[in-house]
Amino acid sequence: MSFTERFSLNFIESNRYRYITAGIKNTLLITVVAAAIGILLGFLIAIIRSTHEKTGKLKLLDLICRLYLTVIRGTPTTVQLMIVYFVIFSSVDRPLLSAFIAFGLNSAAYVAEIVRSGIMSIDPGQMEAGRSLGLSYRATMAYIIIPQAFKNVLPALANEFIVLLKETSICMAISLRDLTYGTSLISSQTYDYMFPLLLGAAIYLFFVMLLTWLFGKMERRLRQNER
Amino acid sequence: MNGEVLIDVQGLEKTFEDGNRVLRGISTQIRKSEVVAIIGPSGCGKSTFLRSLNLLEIPTGGRILFEGTDITDKSVDVDKMRQKIGMVFQQFNLFPHLTIRKNIMLAPTKLKLMNKQEAEKRALELLDRVGLPDKADAYPAMLSGGQKQRVAIARAMAMNPDVMLFDEPTSALDPEMVGEVLEIMRELAESGMTMIVVTHEMGFAREVATRAMFIDEGVIKEENHPAEFFAHPREQRLKDFLSKVL
Ligand SMILES: Nc1ncnc2c1ncn2[C@@H]1O[C@H](COP(=O)(O)OP(=O)(O)O)[C@@H](O)[C@H]1O
Ligand SMILES: [Mg+2]
Repeated sequence: MSFTERFSLNFIESNRYRYITAGIKNTLLITVVAAAIGILLGFLIAIIRSTHEKTGKLKLLDLICRLYLTVIRGTPTTVQLMIVYFVIFSSVDRPLLSAFIAFGLNSAAYVAEIVRSGIMSIDPGQMEAGRSLGLSYRATMAYIIIPQAFKNVLPALANEFIVLLKETSICMAISLRDLTYGTSLISSQTYDYMFPLLLGAAIYLFFVMLLTWLFGKMERRLRQNER
Repeated sequence: MNGEVLIDVQGLEKTFEDGNRVLRGISTQIRKSEVVAIIGPSGCGKSTFLRSLNLLEIPTGGRILFEGTDITDKSVDVDKMRQKIGMVFQQFNLFPHLTIRKNIMLAPTKLKLMNKQEAEKRALELLDRVGLPDKADAYPAMLSGGQKQRVAIARAMAMNPDVMLFDEPTSALDPEMVGEVLEIMRELAESGMTMIVVTHEMGFAREVATRAMFIDEGVIKEENHPAEFFAHPREQRLKDFLSKVL
């Protein structure tokens, strides 16, 4: 078979390209929603934990957060995804919602540790300066500490979201038609593995490079203030 | 000394968690428009004393009355009290992610004491006053140490504090920049600002301060009008200290 014949077989006949386009849509959707959950929840956990570390307050909340981090980071993402889909949502068939939740909760744990280290690395003099002006702990965190911490950990956060994008490729475990499962469905119909898989890989690579570029741009924008 | 008492320190004590008894009963009164220079050997507790006055350190004994209110009382609104007490740090502690203008405007606007226009106007006035009218849109990293400290002074002044605390404001500066900061502080003192200054600049203590205070072994060993303090020290420890630093 020639190249064009194989291309046509895998992607044109029976509109098989739709597995790819629908897969991209789901992969990106899961990544974006999970990243949003990860940021919100991750920052919250980071603030609770660093507040506890610095002031000794929020003891119980800190304990809950630590337990959460231990469980999430100590178990495979695939297992977490399957637990959410097959156990928690066992009575309803909600694969996409399960993926949002599982990947969101998973990402939050990693974001939390990245952001916490960012907060802890800010010079204590910054908090003292804010508080000595009469700003509350909360206001000092919001306007002085977090913006600086965010800037410092942006590269690590970018990396986490790239990992997240690639990790969504395990959705096959809950029969969710993401990009990887899409390419594998094509293979099962055409008995051709190379074409669909290589295209899938190229698409992941494209999005990873796009994300890298976007984050790099954002980072340069935030950094230009400093010299 | 006349003028109303702004800060009344009564038997202030501070013991750190590690058992280090740093302040062992400090009592003094700071009156309006006084400029108090605090000197003493390194590690004697000058910073701890100064930082206790706005509760950056929590005293373990004694009382501090600020404008009549006991601020060591748990029910006191610490943030409200700190708005009236400006602080200038040895390491400047400017906010590196904000422009100079925003460094100065941040607290007055976020605390809703001024609207944006008022805060902006005040920031530019203050920058003019500390001799940096052209730095409003610069970031802290672009300034020299002396310029940073002048901005830090302007930032504290933007809150219109009743008293300003300085913790070795010139100790982190290259020698050629010490003068410009001391000059701003002198002008501030002449404008009637109440100031408490921990310093190793004996010239400043002698010429600008209205009172010099020697802290040693956790207490105020000696305090006096600067002329008398430097010319006729009474305590042997102060004599030894002065002979080393002068
Ligand atoms: N947070 C702290 N915990 C424990 N000990 C401290 C702390 N801060 C200061 N000290 C100790 O208290 C003493 C006085 O420190 P400090 O007030 O900074 O002295 P000074 O400003 O006069 O040089 C020193 O022995 C110092 O090590
Ligand atoms: Mg000190």
